[in-house]
Amino acid sequence: MPEQIQKVLGKHGRSPDELIPILQDVQAVFGYIGEDSVKVISRYLRISENQIYGVSSFYAQFRFTEPGRHGIKVCLGTACHVRGGSTLLDSLEHGLGIHCGETTEDKRFDVDRVACLGCCALSPVVQIDRDIYSRMTVNKLTELLKNYE
Amino acid sequence: MTKEKKVSIIIDNRKVEAKAGLTILQAAREAGVDIPSLCALEHLPSYGACRLCVVEVDGIRGFPTSCTTPVEEGMVIRTDTAEVRTLRQEVLKLLLSEHPASCLFCGEQDECKDFQGTIRKVGVTTGCRYCPNDSLCELQDITQKVGLTETSYPVYYRNFPVEKEDPFYDRDYNLCILCGRCVRVCNEIRLNGTLSFKQRGKQTTIGPAFARTHLEAGCEFCGACVAVCPTGALSAKVSKWSGKPDEIVETTCPYCPTGCTLDLKVKGGEVVDVSADYDSPTEHGLICVKGRFAIPEYVLSPDRLATPTVLGPEGYDLIDWDGALDLAAEKLKEAGAKGSCVVVSPDLSNEDLFAAQRFAREVIGTEAILSPLLYDLGGDLRAFVDLVLTSEPIDSVGNAKGILSIGLDTTYGFTPLGIAVKKAARKDAALMTIDDGECNLDFLSEEAFHSDPEKWPEYLDGIMKSMSSNGKKGKVPSSFFKKGERNVAIVGPGAIFSKKRKEIFEHVLSMRNDLGWKVIVCHPYTNLLGMLAMGAFPGLMPGSIKSDGVLKFKDPGAIVDLKAKFKVGYFIGEVPSEAMPQLDYIIYQNALPAPEGVKPNLNLPASLFTETPGTTINFEGRILSFNKASEPFADSRADWWIMSGIAGRIKKGALKYSSLAGIQSEIKKAVPGFEGKDKKVPRKKVVMEGKAAEKAISRKTTVEAPASFRGVPLHDHVAGMKAIEERRHK
Amino acid sequence: MNKLAKKIDSAKSKWEKLNDNREPIVYIGAASCGRAAGALDLKEGVKTFLEENKKSARIIEVGCIGPCYLEPLVDIKMPGQPRVSYNNVNAKMLGMILKSHFIDGAPHKKLAAGHFGTDDFDGIPRFFDLPMLKPQVRIVLRNCGFIDPEEIDQYLAVDGYQGFMKALKSTPEDVIAVVRQAGLRGRGGAGFPTFRKWTVCRESPGEQKYLICNADEGDPGAFMNRSLIESDPHAVLEGMLIAGYAIGASKGIVYIRAEYPLAIDRLKRAIGQMREYGLLGKNILGSDFSFEIKIKEGAGAFVCGEETALIGSIEGKRGMPKSRPPFPAISGLFQSPTIINNVETLGTLPNILRNGPDWYNRFGKEGNRGTKTFSLVGKIRRPGLIEVQLGTTLREIIFDIGGGVQKPFKAIQTGGPSGGCLSEEFLDLTVDYESLASAGSIMGSGGLIVMDEDTCIVDLAKYFLDFTQKESCGKCVPCRVGTRHILEILQKISNGEGTPDDLLALRTLGDTIKKGALCGLGQTAPNPVLTTLRYFRNEYLEHIRDHKCRATVCKSLIEYRVIKEKCTGCQSCVRVCPTGAITGPRSEPHNLDASKCIKCRSCYEICRYEAIAGDAIVIRTAERQS
Repeated sequence: MPEQIQKVLGKHGRSPDELIPILQDVQAVFGYIGEDSVKVISRYLRISENQIYGVSSFYAQFRFTEPGRHGIKVCLGTACHVRGGSTLLDSLEHGLGIHCGETTEDKRFDVDRVACLGCCALSPVVQIDRDIYSRMTVNKLTELLKNYE
Repeated sequence: MTKEKKVSIIIDNRKVEAKAGLTILQAAREAGVDIPSLCALEHLPSYGACRLCVVEVDGIRGFPTSCTTPVEEGMVIRTDTAEVRTLRQEVLKLLLSEHPASCLFCGEQDECKDFQGTIRKVGVTTGCRYCPNDSLCELQDITQKVGLTETSYPVYYRNFPVEKEDPFYDRDYNLCILCGRCVRVCNEIRLNGTLSFKQRGKQTTIGPAFARTHLEAGCEFCGACVAVCPTGALSAKVSKWSGKPDEIVETTCPYCPTGCTLDLKVKGGEVVDVSADYDSPTEHGLICVKGRFAIPEYVLSPDRLATPTVLGPEGYDLIDWDGALDLAAEKLKEAGAKGSCVVVSPDLSNEDLFAAQRFAREVIGTEAILSPLLYDLGGDLRAFVDLVLTSEPIDSVGNAKGILSIGLDTTYGFTPLGIAVKKAARKDAALMTIDDGECNLDFLSEEAFHSDPEKWPEYLDGIMKSMSSNGKKGKVPSSFFKKGERNVAIVGPGAIFSKKRKEIFEHVLSMRNDLGWKVIVCHPYTNLLGMLAMGAFPGLMPGSIKSDGVLKFKDPGAIVDLKAKFKVGYFIGEVPSEAMPQLDYIIYQNALPAPEGVKPNLNLPASLFTETPGTTINFEGRILSFNKASEPFADSRADWWIMSGIAGRIKKGALKYSSLAGIQSEIKKAVPGFEGKDKKVPRKKVVMEGKAAEKAISRKTTVEAPASFRGVPLHDHVAGMKAIEERRHK
Repeated sequence: MNKLAKKIDSAKSKWEKLNDNREPIVYIGAASCGRAAGALDLKEGVKTFLEENKKSARIIEVGCIGPCYLEPLVDIKMPGQPRVSYNNVNAKMLGMILKSHFIDGAPHKKLAAGHFGTDDFDGIPRFFDLPMLKPQVRIVLRNCGFIDPEEIDQYLAVDGYQGFMKALKSTPEDVIAVVRQAGLRGRGGAGFPTFRKWTVCRESPGEQKYLICNADEGDPGAFMNRSLIESDPHAVLEGMLIAGYAIGASKGIVYIRAEYPLAIDRLKRAIGQMREYGLLGKNILGSDFSFEIKIKEGAGAFVCGEETALIGSIEGKRGMPKSRPPFPAISGLFQSPTIINNVETLGTLPNILRNGPDWYNRFGKEGNRGTKTFSLVGKIRRPGLIEVQLGTTLREIIFDIGGGVQKPFKAIQTGGPSGGCLSEEFLDLTVDYESLASAGSIMGSGGLIVMDEDTCIVDLAKYFLDFTQKESCGKCVPCRVGTRHILEILQKISNGEGTPDDLLALRTLGDTIKKGALCGLGQTAPNPVLTTLRYFRNEYLEHIRDHKCRATVCKSLIEYRVIKEKCTGCQSCVRVCPTGAITGPRSEPHNLDASKCIKCRSCYEICRYEAIAGDAIVIRTAERQS
């Protein structure tokens, strides 16, 4: 594990303004920011682990626990909201039995909200992994989830 | 010197000349206009979050914060218009809705204060009366200043559990108003980085990463955050319920040779708390956990010796002072010059040390003025004294290009030096650390060598060779420590108390003498320079450090047989240790009892540095004062008074001191540096006189002892120090 | 210079050949919207068709022309014929279109939406004459949908980098003067005259200066910047060169949100191409000007669209705004003079420099020169990306370009979470910085959200405050705590527990936050509430006094009912109900147990929109308990 982290670090300089790009790369490789990663980054950039945690916990992109197999992001931009985005999220939370920001017990799904995916003309929009689905309804979403193991 | 630049501004229709570069808040304060503020604090960089210090400024849109806006020529500022006042009140209402503010607006406040006494120490703080900060709280002040009498906003009680597992201070974040002072002081003044804001918006909290304890996260327990917290969110365990102090007494910390300035808080005649002085030229307020938190519990320990006692067949019996002094005199007279020794603590004041060496030489007639450091350092004492006398001031780190730290971790001690090193390493100094495990300076270093001290002389060798040969061979590339540049070597306790100490000292001396390195030594012997100046050493007379700063030093082991047995040992502020030879009779003069296993024959209760004044010399040669903050405990007496009492009973008229001034006038005559305004002892170099002792003591102290004062470990009496010691020696 | 000149020549001739095509070209709109609508599947469909029918054609993925409601768009340009556009293409339609062009040799007249030629063509209207495009003036978006965003040669062929080359020939001060004359105002939201910030930065002492492109586009509902970068990245990059040259910066940074992976890809590629062509690096085109561009990705914080927070984020810190002074133009990134410009501002610059300020002054009106892109979305017939002259009225935008609303119009929201909701009476308001501000809203980055009677205004205000609460950095008291109080009051009102005093509390809180907050996010956070209170007061009062939500949105104030007379007992709703609140045997009217109903709309949708069902399920405002 530390070698993998070192590989990521090797692509970045040692100045503090590399912190966020490093965190993004680390999360891309491991799926989350773990304690070992923070330790290694701390030595590399010469910033205390607590400060690194303080910075990464500020941004919605970073998570500190292992992600589920599939990430569901419900867009809650204004256009999506006006066309029922929050109802989608409600029913999703209800259906999977978890709240926004949590992972299902069987680690199958993460549910999260995202401010705007930029496809406003096709609202409401839901992103599962890297696929974006437009003009969603509650029923369509339920069907769609069956395709994801 | 150039005159300070000034600008003309108008505050509330009054013309004011303000120093250029000040903020409106600072300029207003200097002009006597008090703008309310919470998150701003002197010595801290400004933040602008509480929004209470808003003002109106012609030409600036809206309501800028006065703590972040610098003054400019011709600025017109209004601090007290109706709109500004209303805005402050509304903002304060919002602020208070994140804080249990029930007592602030209660109509029965006064009756409650008068008749309810204290109803505090209930688990949860739901109002001022239950809060450790009551009557000291800046929120209470601000509410009055801003003129707020009611609020209709609901209070959001965040329901955090109170954090009590860490030593020395508790944290109740339900009271936190997120002013950020603690984060700023920890990161930007202390350069420690334990505290950080976490998450954002209304979920924002403050603390270390991953819900770790502060101990795990590397907190130094310097208490800077507790001092700056405006609410009761952070409170020191020992003093949290003491309330407003009756007086503040400035003194010097006796726990190590740095000699930090401390402000003692006195309540009800007792020292209950300590705060730092950021304006002190010695350490700039950057004190460590020992000075900050380990004084009240030591001084107020329930175990303090109250009255003289003598060991009888069935334990200790009480004895009055006359009887005790008579007994001590009798035993010492009996043992005579060859059979007696005097053991002094390096933590004693100059006056006590001066009196002690007079006692030994004039009253007993012996040169056996012993102290633990003779036994700790053995044959390496000469090299040690050489390095210590010429130790550089902390500032020399500031413009160093290369810094080498050997066996030093500054988490729980030598913090002003540690912070100076961090500052330099962040700028452009190259730092290398050598330690037997991880140390707190590692993450700022270019290279961190972790190994058994066995290997350290090898590293030092490598450095020296590479410097001499311009990097052609050796471990260190030449670009690291360059000859001709300012390089500083710091010798820490890890090196001093290692089995390779001799070789390490030799290398460092060579680096200093041949390669131009500056050296700083971090050791635990508070007034070692005082011992040298006062002559509290075998074969060293008072005033041995000449006015040109040269010390002619004789090896104590060559003057006195340190392995000899004595009949009577007179311990002044020290504890008999295993290293010392056996004694038939122990006269124990100290404030706290000897630790388990040692049974002195006669206990003479001594007063402590908070109860009786004196002076000490810090590692830079500065003469600093201990000032009296409270009355001596029970029947204890000043060390010099006791010595005087015994002396007079052995040799009539000897050591006749009726006051401290008497001793000080003698010192002024004998020791250079004490007379005059400068208050600094000259230090330049050590010249070894005579041969080294033939049989050096073989004792090798390879483990650093726990932090102690006057021979007694702090953790025996200060609860929090146990956790600190455990972490230090993990 | 010569090397580039040669490349431009070859690019132009390639472009000519392309437009005078011997080989058929199939254009597929494949920006993010297109892809979300299935454009890539269509691309595969085209490839398959060509293979099977042994035909050849060039396939070009282009960006967004604008009318997203027409996605996916597939355009076909046969040799000798103009480009014909087909909209809302599905697999079946694709087959018919391709057969028509490639096999039958003619456009599919019935399905064709428009063509891009100049003259009439076979009775098919000109695309730009269609009602949603005719009133538009496409300056910033001129290339979107027409060039391949991954080909720098196509950009060069349409006079790309000409503006920059002109700038290089004059002094930086001249460039600033041109921008001043053109009257360009920052398109990120504040509308601050661009030349003024540039002048301050130019005159600030400092060896190293920075030019930052703010591509964080956090406003939910706004995607103009994304479209521009995906469809015409070089326009933005050329703008960065011009701006960098004007202020004396040698380093440029594009700060772009991580939620735009395609845009980031296109930027990276474009930057690589610039370097190849000598448009980046030391002494560009033989001048004294050196410039490098880096990309920094945002990490999911709306507040990082604010200048000082953006700078903090680039420096690797928490994105917490800082008080000003000092201003970024004097002391910004790494304490150096820094200019932050919006994507659209930068995308406009090449046109101004190329055609001159007088040309630009032909558009817009006094004090509000030029054009602005908007994302027109919501309950509108023709949602999409548009570009109009400043000074156009809202009515024109909504009804002429947008095609109006299906259900009665209620409100239009401008400026995102920092903006306001304007009611019907403002339809004749002109879109310019000052009039929007006087109505209590702001121009913002350009999101225009249209609402009809199905939108509850209290719910909308709640939505925006919820957004602000989640994105608030938490530094200053008014924003962190004040918006929380506002949100809780709105939730109370939405739950039917509001009192008339609450409306006064909302105004007081709004006022405090506007005056006391540290940054723009906080200072504008109350705008949605304050404008809705002003223009839709009755709806608030209905919620409070009558416990009625006329748009049937606020869950506590509505109930779902089965109209027994209309219910055919088809059981479609029973199958989808997640809580089993609807029960009933086949062919008999069903029962809805209100105590189990979580108001998820599944039954309503399936009854209303699926073919077999009817409209037996309705949502009514709940009966008020007396």
